[in-house]
Amino acid sequence: MSNSKYLKKSIWVFHLNTGSCNACDIEILDVLTPYFDAERFGVKLVTSPRHADVLLLTGPITQESLPKVIKVIEATPRPRIILALGSCAVGGGIWHDTYSTIGGVPELLKILDNLRIEVDGVYYVPGCPVRPESIIYAIALIKGLAEKKISKKVKKVAR
Amino acid sequence: MGWNGLFKTLVKKLGPLKALIIASEAGRVTRKYPFEPPLISEEFRGKIEIDENKCIGCGACVNVCPPNALTMEQDNDTKVLKYFIGRCIYCWRCIDVCPTGAIRGTLEFELATNNIDDLHEMVVHEVVKCRVCGKPVTTIAMKDFVLEKTRYAEEYIDLDPYCRKEKFIKAIEGRFGYREQQ
Ligand code: SF4
Ligand code: SF4
Repeated sequence: MSNSKYLKKSIWVFHLNTGSCNACDIEILDVLTPYFDAERFGVKLVTSPRHADVLLLTGPITQESLPKVIKVIEATPRPRIILALGSCAVGGGIWHDTYSTIGGVPELLKILDNLRIEVDGVYYVPGCPVRPESIIYAIALIKGLAEKKISKKVKKVAR
Repeated sequence: MGWNGLFKTLVKKLGPLKALIIASEAGRVTRKYPFEPPLISEEFRGKIEIDENKCIGCGACVNVCPPNALTMEQDNDTKVLKYFIGRCIYCWRCIDVCPTGAIRGTLEFELATNNIDDLHEMVVHEVVKCRVCGKPVTTIAMKDFVLEKTRYAEEYIDLDPYCRKEKFIKAIEGRFGYREQQ
């Protein structure tokens, strides 16, 4: 179903804001507090990327933050997984074609590819902002507790 | 004093049993999601659903979409309305502007995936070709929609704007020519 083979046990996450408006970041906080309690699944927020399995990326990745983001990804031990949270991280959001952002994780992956920095998996969690439940759903997806519900659709107009 | 310290004082003051009673009176707040239904209400805005049988490919939704989650691409035989869920901000403006009510809002939020291709949706339209020059003019659905509203559009609906202009100019010329002869 997914490349969750790396993440069978407790997932330690490092939260990285790459220029987001703070809405997604607040929802991450919400997920970690007792109400939604992501620690049920062993998810723990760590303060250093060197301890992390997963990077929670929010924001469209501004030019200013790009070198730091790359540094953080390099500092994360393999296997490293990126969880792109929110419309900005997934597709650049409303900033996708503005001058000071690179337009989200898909563009970041191209840059990482050029620099030969490998990432072992990327999960995309759309939402503006992401609902706490969508984050929990993504965690459940990684752990194999939930099924993937979305797939590419091509609708032909009937004549 | 952290939680541990607080708990120890509590236990010292009340004995372990009373502390347990207080904790159980406060109850459990944690939601069991994904093992129980989520907390979404009727007002929640999730992803949109495009009904391909109602869409006429007019592009009104593309015009109004703030993050360009909806885009339109046209080539010689098809006109494709593309919806990229990953960029949508769920403002539902497209629902308000769609002239045929083809877009419906849903409460879906479980959209996480490990493959970005899953977040793309497409509505593929066939196009009408200009009866003079053969260039694509509009979609078949749009042609039917317009003809239903105004029957007189029959005369020019399948003409390229340029050919339409030519036809108009020819008509004017013809009329002036007629006057000059008199
Ligand atoms: S809901 Fe808003 S952002 Fe999403 S496709 Fe419609 S207009 Fe675009
Ligand atoms: S008919 Fe509605 S869904 Fe189709 S292109 Fe026009 S506005 Fe968009």
